[in-house]
Formats: sequence, structure tokens, C-alpha cells
Amino acid sequence: MSSWADATERNPCAACYNSSVQAPEGTPLYVHLPFCAAKCHYCDFYSVPAEGHDRHAMVQAILAEARLRAPLHPSLVFFGGGTPSLLDHDELRVLLDGLDQICGWRSSSLETTAECNPESLDQSKAETLLALGVQRLSIGFQSLDPATLQLFGRVHTVEDSFAAYAAARAAGATNVNIDMIYAVPGQDPEQWQRDLSKVLDLGPDHLSAYNLTFEEETVFRRWLEQGRLQQHSEERELRFFVETRAALAARGLDAYEISNFARTGRECRHNLNYWANGPYVGLGPSAVSKVGVTRSGNIKAIGAYVRGALSGVRPEAWEETPSPLQRLAETWWLGLRTRAGLSAHEARVRAACDADDAAFLNEARALEQQGVLACANDTWTLTPKGLPLADWIAKRFLALAD
Amino acid sequence: MQPTNLIRNFCIIAHIDHGKSTLADRMLEVTGAVDKRDMRAQLLDSMELERERGITIKASAVTIWHEVGGQKYELNLIDTPGHVDFNYEVQKALQACEGALLLVDASQGVEAQTVANAYLAVEANLEIVPVINKCDLPHARPEEVAEEVENSIGIQAEDASRVSAKTGMGVKELLDSIVRMVPAPKGDPNASLRCLIFDAAYNEYRGIVVYLRVMEGTIKEGEMIHMLGTDKVYEAIDIGRFTPSMKRTGELGPGEVGYFVSNIKKLSDVRIGDTMTRHKGPKVEMLPGYRPPMHMVYADFFPTNTGDFESLREALETLSLSDSSFSHEAVTSEALGFGFRCGFLGLLHMEIVQERLEREHDIDMIQTAPTVNYRIVLADGSTQEIHSPGQLPTPDKYEKIMEPMARVSIMTPSEHIGNVMQIASDHRGDYIRQEHLSPTRVQLIYDIPLAELIYDFFDKLKSSTRGYGTLNYDISDFKEADLVKLRILVNGKEVDALTSIVHKDQAEFRGRQAIKKMRKEIPRHLFEIALQAAIGARIIARETISALRKDVTAKCYGGDVTRKRKLLEKQKEGKRRMRQIGNVDIPQKAFLAVLGGDDAEGSED
Ligand SMILES: Nc1nc2c(ncn2[C@@H]2O[C@H](COP(=O)(O)OP(=O)(O)OP(=O)(O)O)[C@@H](O)[C@H]2O)c(=O)[nH]1
Ligand code: SF4
Ligand SMILES: [Mg+2]
Repeated sequence: MSSWADATERNPCAACYNSSVQAPEGTPLYVHLPFCAAKCHYCDFYSVPAEGHDRHAMVQAILAEARLRAPLHPSLVFFGGGTPSLLDHDELRVLLDGLDQICGWRSSSLETTAECNPESLDQSKAETLLALGVQRLSIGFQSLDPATLQLFGRVHTVEDSFAAYAAARAAGATNVNIDMIYAVPGQDPEQWQRDLSKVLDLGPDHLSAYNLTFEEETVFRRWLEQGRLQQHSEERELRFFVETRAALAARGLDAYEISNFARTGRECRHNLNYWANGPYVGLGPSAVSKVGVTRSGNIKAIGAYVRGALSGVRPEAWEETPSPLQRLAETWWLGLRTRAGLSAHEARVRAACDADDAAFLNEARALEQQGVLACANDTWTLTPKGLPLADWIAKRFLALAD
Repeated sequence: MQPTNLIRNFCIIAHIDHGKSTLADRMLEVTGAVDKRDMRAQLLDSMELERERGITIKASAVTIWHEVGGQKYELNLIDTPGHVDFNYEVQKALQACEGALLLVDASQGVEAQTVANAYLAVEANLEIVPVINKCDLPHARPEEVAEEVENSIGIQAEDASRVSAKTGMGVKELLDSIVRMVPAPKGDPNASLRCLIFDAAYNEYRGIVVYLRVMEGTIKEGEMIHMLGTDKVYEAIDIGRFTPSMKRTGELGPGEVGYFVSNIKKLSDVRIGDTMTRHKGPKVEMLPGYRPPMHMVYADFFPTNTGDFESLREALETLSLSDSSFSHEAVTSEALGFGFRCGFLGLLHMEIVQERLEREHDIDMIQTAPTVNYRIVLADGSTQEIHSPGQLPTPDKYEKIMEPMARVSIMTPSEHIGNVMQIASDHRGDYIRQEHLSPTRVQLIYDIPLAELIYDFFDKLKSSTRGYGTLNYDISDFKEADLVKLRILVNGKEVDALTSIVHKDQAEFRGRQAIKKMRKEIPRHLFEIALQAAIGARIIARETISALRKDVTAKCYGGDVTRKRKLLEKQKEGKRRMRQIGNVDIPQKAFLAVLGGDDAEGSED
């Protein structure tokens, strides 16, 4: 069933705003809350310190954007950022209730996640989130080493992290994720194993463990370039990578993606949709949407976003429609990141690409020869050797789209 | 038909970028040859690459009309390229003219090709009209530049016209002086026909177009024309002038410059410099014509896909229709299979040919590092020319090896003399002499091995003179040298396409440099790659490219895909311009690693 009719009904002005296509009913929804207690030094998400910003206006702006373009009855909802848990009880209520009135997510969402940080998650905040319909809490621990937390520019302590986790459970959260970062400059792989083990002792349902990345335009990148930070050697990073997967698998958290681990059945469906190159609508500053074969992103600047959204115009900054072969390459790249992998047929369908994909299959076979891809029942996956080479493999596919 | 006393034929010659094409623009404009609305900068530079690079590659002829004292004069103008690689084009143009405008940039002054081209014009007995251009520039120094012209070329330049091709200042007056100073062509319209073929081009609609200058007699449509050199006979189907578009006139008389179109099938039937006469007419003597172009550098082209060899052949053949100055012959390489060895007028020429092949014919190929031709003297005293380092036999098979020497003339501001002398000696140069053109500019003459010039001399000269040094060169002779073969091994296997010939004293250093550069250019593979440089059986340097084991993005969610994809696209090694040798992918740039210079593709301009 198409949502065109509904969309126009909800918004009589549908024809006059610049967003291209209204997403179909059921499209997953992402909501970006751009505020954090402080900016972490490694982070390249769009977020700013909350201090001095009008959070209320932001909530209203997101609701205004939702009226313009939120999909009806999203099947999955994710509140990310930034730090959604930074909103106070009232702000959360206004936002989540308001969204429900607009798109009815509560009745449709099969998985609703909110990202939280230890400094802003206590039991009552957790209870509020759960009461408002959130089912899954994701808590950013990042490290169990006080010095590392400081280096990261995090505003919480190790104790805060444990307390936040306990609060989430006490509030009744049954699906909790913990975020960790490894291969931090100076980190000893064995110490990391011990920290990881402590985190696992908590019994999270899901764990994201990221190799620290020196993203462009971050403080960390600058420090790296200035020589103030040293990146581990490739060999050592590989050791972190391999040992992390092994340790987590041994404790019942299987890798279902490069950096994501879960108990069976607890995989994050919202993120799986990204790796399936599926559609989604993103609301909020900098949020990206993929509708049909077109991806688009909102403007980042908070003031401009709020003004735009409140004036009833979609605050869009960019839009791109990759070529069919680029979409195919993207689909292989993203799909291969997952344990499930993908078949050539699935790749074509997900990419909405009916161009000749013989070159892709040939490339896949050549990569199989090199021991980095495996194929079983027509489904391609990365081998243990291929996993840490996922980008290198992606580039081979992207080269076919030239 | 225009009487000869009302015709003037001249070309515009200068160093690169001194404003020849822009001056031609103004002349077209002032004389109303081109409508204001059709005007665009450097109108005669019609080739895509000329427009992109802002330089003239091919000479173009155009007829304009100018009135002086109530008389209408036919002026045939030929705009020529200034780059040293294309001075063959200049030589062709000179033969079709009685005068040459020697253009000099009022701020840059006399540069290497100013002098070189002026001498060519003197040799061809042309009347030289010095013109100082860009007088609109605030730092124009016309008096000094006039003095430089007098000192370097020995012609009167005090009263040289001062113009601005940009603003049009002085251009009308210049046209008047051309009528006054350039001699009218001689030639009797009723004499036996003799025309000089000074160029030819392939035109999509008309096929092969012959550019001619009538020396004597009259060429008329419908007549059968005999090309003496190639001994071919063709009917004159269409005769006319370039205005600049081709405009049919039906006939051309003595002194006139224009085109000749017939149903010529092969460009090889048309030889630049050949003489055309009337078929079965009275016997005439051949015009002196041109010496064939001299190939300075050679490089091999191999298709990226071995299956594209035939398309590469076709592309080369088609391209030689519009550029007859490069040569090609089939070769085989053990590493790269079938390809072509091509000879060029210089590095820029090579680059242009390669780019045109890729663009106009969509051919993807690998090019080996340019080399010069060597002469080896065998035990029995016979000599052999080799155009590819791979052809050099082992030292026991020859007596001696000789390399081409270039007589190099370098113009530089005097303050950089020390630097220039240093790099000349670093490049095995022999000092010949120096001359002061003005208190601030000097000309240095050196004999430098041609191989050294193309290795990185051009780049080094530019950087050591802050871009102000320019050079011109000619091959003087061949000289014995202590040269050895530098071989490159990839994972233990010799790659013939990477072999080069170097001086013994430089061999170790250049070998090390070459594989260092290759290490940067060859992407990492999933296995280790060993690079070695060897002289004879001796390994002189080794580099290793470690196996790639980790290359993965940690975080990749919906908001990241576009940005990350673009990042990956930037990092990825395209399939283009890359060849697999063994199981190692070697990109184009690695093939040029045996050349010096930072980008190894540098060219002089
Ligand atoms: N200021 C000023 N600039 C000029 C003048 N004449 C030419 N130029 C500029 O000089 C540059 C080179 O001009 P061209 O006409 O392409 O030079 P060219 O001699 O034909 O160059 P090649 O054909 O490559 O040898 C262009 O950027 C022109 O705009 C002039 O009289 N004054
Ligand atoms: S809390 Fe999270 S989103 Fe905010 S700056 Fe730190 S890492 Fe980035
Ligand atoms: Mg020009």
C-alpha cells in the first residue's frame, strides 16, 4: 500500500517542499538529536555541547520535520545522536508522543532504540524512556580505563557507566547494548581483554566494539598528525580485531557485523537494515535518508535546521542518486560486512540494479581465489582473512562501477 | 584571383604563451574576418586539448583582408605553436611565408624559443618583423626587451611595434606595417604550377584536407594534380581559403595559401613538404620541402586489456591522420605482450598523443618510460640503432654504445646562473659558452646527453630558476658513454618494460630511486611484493611492499554510507591504466618510475 495519499492528506503542502519523494509506509525511522554533554575528541558525528542551545526548539523542529516527511508506521525506530538521553523527561515526552501522533510509531515499531550516555542515564530516565515506548537502550561505555576516558574527553567515570547499566536493568530494560572502543593509543591488548571481560560479566544483550578511528576533522586526527597520539601498527590492530571477536564469541556474543556482536535474536534490526542497503528516513540536523535509490542529508547547522524545519521547508543540504553500478557496489560492500552476507541476486534486488553484474560475480570469484570471500549456497560472505579487509574488498567492487 | 603584389604571407612565431594566438584573434577581429559574437579566445586553437591546456599544438592558417591606402590586401596568416616540441610545425609554416612576426612578451622578454624560432625564420630567408606584445601589463619593459632582441638575434628592434593582443592596442597599425614590411610573394600566375604541401589534416566531413601554398602558376578545381614525391594523382575537387572556416574559391594563384580537397584515401599519399603540379603538365622542379621530423623520445604503448591490441593499432593509424609527426611500429614485450613503440618530438608531444588516444579513441593503455635512441657499435664495426632499452644486448656483444647529445641553449635571469650550471653538470653537461643578452639575462650553451634532458632536467631547470629558465635544444651528435642496463625485478621476475639504460656512475642511485618510487606507486597486495634493481647479475637495491592485512572501516551506518563510499572511491585503484604482471597489479605511474622528477610525468613548458 502506498502512503502517497496519506502523506498528502497530512501535509496539504506536499507539492511545494523540496524533498523529492515521500517514503512508503513502514520505512524505518531515524531521529538525530545533536546535543551531547561535551564533544568527545574522536567523534565525528554531528553533535554539539548542549550548553546554550534551545533544546525545546530542537524538539519542535524535529516534530515539524516529521510532519513534513516522517514515514507512516515505521517498522523500526532509532533515536541516535548526539545523546538522546540528554533530553529531560518533558522533552522526551513531547518528542516521542508528538512523533507517535504524527506517524503512529508505537503501534508499528518492532524495535525502538535510544542511545544513552552514562552521565545522563539514571533509573528514572530509563523508566521514562521505556514508558514512552523505547525497547532497547544503547549505552556508551567506550572504555573502562579512567585515563582513556579522559583522553577521549568523556564527561563520565567508569563508575558512572556501571551505574547507568544497573539503572537500565533496574528500570526493566530487557535489551541493552554497550559501546566500547579498542586499539586506543598505548592500550595493551591484554588489558583490553580484561576490560572486555568485565563488560561481558554484566551480561549485555549486544555489544558494539569499534577499532578507534582517527576520523577527519576530529581532535584525535589533529593529535595524530601532530604526533601527540600514536596509532597502533597494522599488525597490532589486527590482533585487537581478531582477539576481540574470539573473546566475544567464547562468551556467547557472536559477531554479526564487523564491529557488532549480539546474543542470538538480539541483533540490531535497525542497523541490519543499513547493511542491507534498505530505505530509511532520518529526521534532525545532519540526518541522512534513503528513499528509493536516492540518499539525501539534512543541513547540519542547528540554527539553520531549526529555522528551516519550523518554516515548513525540509532542511535538506544534499542529495545523491548513485548510478546503478555504484548502488550494486555499495550493496556488496555493505552486505559483506554482515555475517549473513548476500547473494548476487539479493544484491541486484537491494540495489534496484538490473545492469549486467557479470563483472561483480567474476570479481567475487577472483576474491574467493585469494581466500577473502567464501560462497555457500549462492551466498557470499567474508572469510576470517577477508573480514579485516572489508574496505579493500569494497574498493574492488567500487572499481567495477567506474 | 588576387594579384601577388596585393598578397602578404606571414606567420606568427614566439616562445610559448607570448600571445601568438591572442594576437591572431585580434587580427581576425580588426579585419572583420570573424563576427564579434562568434569570437572566442584563441579561436584558432580548435583542438580540444589545445583549448584545455591553453596552448597551440598545431599551426593554423587563415586568410584575412586588410585595406591600406585604398588597396585591399589578402593577408595569409599562420599561427604557430611555441612549445619546443612543436618547432617542426613552425618550420612547416615558415616555408609558406615571406615574413614572420616575432612576438616577444614585454614582461618575460626573450626566451629560448624566441631565439630558436627567430633563427629558423632567418634560415628560411624570411623578413622578420619584431613585435613586442603585452604592453598593457604594468610590468612591461619594452625598451629592455627590444635590447634583448637586438642582442640575441641581431635584428633592429628599436622601432618594433608595441602592441597588446589583449586590448587590441597597436594591432591595426601592425597590420599596416606588415603590408609595408613583408615582401609580396613572387610567382607568375601563368607559369607551370608548383604548390607546397605544408600541412594536412583529417576533417570529419571532408576527409583529408591538404594545406597548400601556391608558389607559381594557378591551381584550379577540376584539374588533375600530381603529387611529385609520392607520385599520386588526384583531382582537385574543392579549392579554397581558410577564413578561418573553409571557403571555396575554385582556384588559388601564386602566393596564396589555402586548401585542396580530393577523395584521398590514405594520408600516406600526402607527404608534408611535397610538391604538387599539374598532371601531364610541363615538368617542374621539386621544391626543397622539409626534412622529416626528428623523433627525440621513444616509448611503448600497451593496451591495458591484451585483447585491445587491434583497437590500439586502429587508433594509432587514425591519429596519425591528424598528427603525422609521431611514428609507431609493433613490438612485443615478455611482460606486457603486444604493443607499439612510438617515436615523439618530445615529452609534451608524447603526452598529447597518449591523451588523444585515450580520449578520442577511448583506448586504455600503459605507456613505458620514454627513452632516447642509442647507437651501438658491434664487434665488426657495424652500427645498430635501438629505441628501447630492452633491445640492448649484453656488453660482450658490442664494442661501444653511443648516446645522442643535445646542444642546449638555456635562457635565465642572471641571478640563477649558479643553479643552472650546477644542474647542468649534475646531468653530465659539458659547458660550451655563455652570452649576456642584457644586464639581467643570460644565455648558457651546454652539451647535455638527451637522456638526461628527459630524465628530469626540465623540471629541475624550472625549479632552480623559479620558473624563469627556458631552454631549447637540438641534437648535435652521438657520443660514446659508459652506459649500463638497469633492470627491475618484481617478485624475482624481470620486467622488460621497466628496463632502462643509465650511466654507470648514476646506476646505483637511479636504481634505488626507481624502486623507491615504484614502492609508492604500486598498491599493497594481499601478499608481500619484492622490488629489486639490478645491473648485470648484481642486485643493487631492494624494497619490499608489505602484505596488506587490515583495511576496514569500524563504523558504518546509514549516515555514513555516502561519505564513506566517496572516501573509498578516492582510495581505490581504478582498473584503468594498470597492468597485471605475474599476479601484481602495476599502475601506469610505476612504469614511469625510472624517470626522475616528482611526478615522473613532468614536461617543459
Ligand atoms: N595582459 C596580456 N595578456 C596577454 C596578451 N596576449 C596574450 N595574453 C595572454 O597570454 C596567455 C597566452 O596567450 P596565447 O595567445 O595562448 O599564447 P600563445 O603564444 O599562442 O601560446 P602557445 O600557442 O601555447 O605557444 C593567455 O592567457 C593570454 O590571454 C596581452 O597583450 N596582454
Ligand atoms: S557522546 Fe557520542 S555522539 Fe556525543 S560527542 Fe561523544 S561520541 Fe560523539
Ligand atoms: Mg597559441
